[in-house]
Amino acid sequence: MALHAKTTALPPIGNFSKQFKWWIGILLVLFAVGGYFIIERLVLGLDTTNLSSITPWGAWIAFYIFFVGLSAGSFLLSTLIFVFGMEQYERVGKMALFTAIVCMIVALTFVLMDLGRPDRFMNALIHWNVISILAWEIHFYLVYITLLVTELYIAMREDLVRLRTHDTWRGMIARWLTFKNSKITEETKKRDHRWMKILGTVGIPLAILGVHGGTGALFAVVGARGTWNSGLFPLIFVISAMVSGTALLLAIYVIKQKVTKKPIDQEMVISLGKMMVAFLFIDLLMQFYEYLVGVYGLEDGHLQSMAIQMGGPYSWSFWGVQMFLGAVVPIFLVFYKKTAKNMHAILIAAILVVIGIIGVRFNIVVPSQIPPVFEGRPFGDYYPTLNEWMVSIGIGAMGLLIFTIGDRLLPLEESVDTTELEG
Amino acid sequence: MLKQMLQTDWDRLANERLADPVNELEQSPYDTKLGLDMANDAKKVVAGSLNIEAFHKKYHSSLLGEFGNLFTQEPVKSDGSSSLKWGMVIDLQKCVGCDSCTVACKAENRTPPGISYNVVLEEEIGEFPNVAKVNLPMPCMHCDNPPCVQVCPVRATFKLDNGIVTIDNDRCIGCRYCIIACPYGARSYDFGESYEEEMLSFNDVTSPEYGIERGKREDRKTPIGTVRKCNFCLHRLERGEEPACVETCIGDARFFGNLNDPNSTVSKLANSPRAFRLKSESGAGPNVIYLK
Repeated sequence: MALHAKTTALPPIGNFSKQFKWWIGILLVLFAVGGYFIIERLVLGLDTTNLSSITPWGAWIAFYIFFVGLSAGSFLLSTLIFVFGMEQYERVGKMALFTAIVCMIVALTFVLMDLGRPDRFMNALIHWNVISILAWEIHFYLVYITLLVTELYIAMREDLVRLRTHDTWRGMIARWLTFKNSKITEETKKRDHRWMKILGTVGIPLAILGVHGGTGALFAVVGARGTWNSGLFPLIFVISAMVSGTALLLAIYVIKQKVTKKPIDQEMVISLGKMMVAFLFIDLLMQFYEYLVGVYGLEDGHLQSMAIQMGGPYSWSFWGVQMFLGAVVPIFLVFYKKTAKNMHAILIAAILVVIGIIGVRFNIVVPSQIPPVFEGRPFGDYYPTLNEWMVSIGIGAMGLLIFTIGDRLLPLEESVDTTELEG
Repeated sequence: MLKQMLQTDWDRLANERLADPVNELEQSPYDTKLGLDMANDAKKVVAGSLNIEAFHKKYHSSLLGEFGNLFTQEPVKSDGSSSLKWGMVIDLQKCVGCDSCTVACKAENRTPPGISYNVVLEEEIGEFPNVAKVNLPMPCMHCDNPPCVQVCPVRATFKLDNGIVTIDNDRCIGCRYCIIACPYGARSYDFGESYEEEMLSFNDVTSPEYGIERGKREDRKTPIGTVRKCNFCLHRLERGEEPACVETCIGDARFFGNLNDPNSTVSKLANSPRAFRLKSESGAGPNVIYLK
């Protein structure tokens, strides 16, 4: 019976490969080291950072928008499958939803680290300032996470019901997560499918307008900072989210298949790679216009921050990370005949794109805060401290740990895949 | 038998001290009847049987006729909004760049290292030998449409009825979005630094700006970890004093008063052809006005 064959094919929880143990070990060490610095930051306050009243936002804010972008991007990719019926990408569907959830957890942890009074974070819900974009964002994030969790649950429901009978950790989790009388019939299949479509459809405007466009708007509405203050800015956020989300899922899929020694769906990988580069082109085009209009605006502060971004102390991040590693190399790898069909090359391209978007986020946040808002006030000077880097690594390791454990305990893999294998 | 003193008798005795209102008012050059009527109606207002707005409405025109330019009180607006809007005028021709405003501000508000609610920007202009030094003292502008208030996610910063933009440091979560949004750089984050090492017991005294005793300045205790700014020395205004920077200015370059009162010094100066505002194009509507 195909159903039975499928479930036994799931990797047993107790059986850890050597690679897996190393992976978890390294993550635990990184998380522990990061945890030390997180505690240091919580005890000593933001004095442990290089932030100042001139440059009040730094690395953690850059990582926060990076991870919100990854989340929105992964989610939007999942809607291609669940709403628009692009079944060729179905293999990454549930993974995309789970990635989106983990990225949101990581993003909100970065925000929490960045608050001067993290103990008061609930104030954002208690005292809602309806004209503040940031207040809206916090509410959008919570609604969005709820939607993601619900959608993922419905996507996994059938597999969870099947797993109920198994005497493994996964079976136990499945028994916790489902009702005793849960069943799979044609009717529930239809119902689940309908709900996936509804939630995905609601999620699209939520992710675009609410979550990531809103995060861009948070910057764009600030009249005091010329480089952010444009209508195109939130759109650039959304597009670059699509770039990074697609790249991340592509990388996760290829790495996972390689590690578990399963065959890679080459056609899908090549197609996802093309899609990633298509988004990247739109992103570059928008950025080009953004800079073009900025230059012609001849506004002092705007020109200054562009000069700092492209020719100042952070220009290596703009030209080296954002433009060369994050755009030129991946575009070459995806289009060059000899590498276009090579899984390793596409994997490298995807990883480089993700790194490039980290650069994009830094180049958005930091250089714009270096020139003073008011001429005559001092220039900023910001570079993350050891504490800021280590906290970031710790939070990143936390995210990967949650992802790895969740991946082990939940039926995230596309079921068709395994049935075919057994079949 | 002695007469028993009743309440009314005590009152009569007390009233003997009072001057005769008619006699008293006759001595002034102004209308006696108006004075008596107003006094009677004022009693009704106090007793709650007459509305304050009706009172102002009733007497506004006759007061204007009687006192002319000397009458400055605006009628209370029916929507309850205050007719008070604190504003500051800084005469740049009188400013000598001595920075005593900054010093007075730091002393008054006991701001920690790295934070000054008031700064004086200095620049040398021109080419030798035609050079000049210009100074620009900058407190918070207390804008009409403060961009910082717009962005605060928790309504911890807000505009008071008297026009002052202030912060509730007990609510602020320290996200620093307001610092990002302020076009004048008037806000600072309190990183928790202290002068304790060079100034004994700096930590022991609470800054008076909060109006309450917060005790010793310590790690993770408000206002550390939150955003701070100039609030026109609200604690001094409440006891009838000018902000510290205004009081201390050696060149008398700073003026402080009610911008809603057309007869106040600040209003008159704000309407002079020399007056200008910083970044007036931004729409924030700063209430610190400069004279060039």
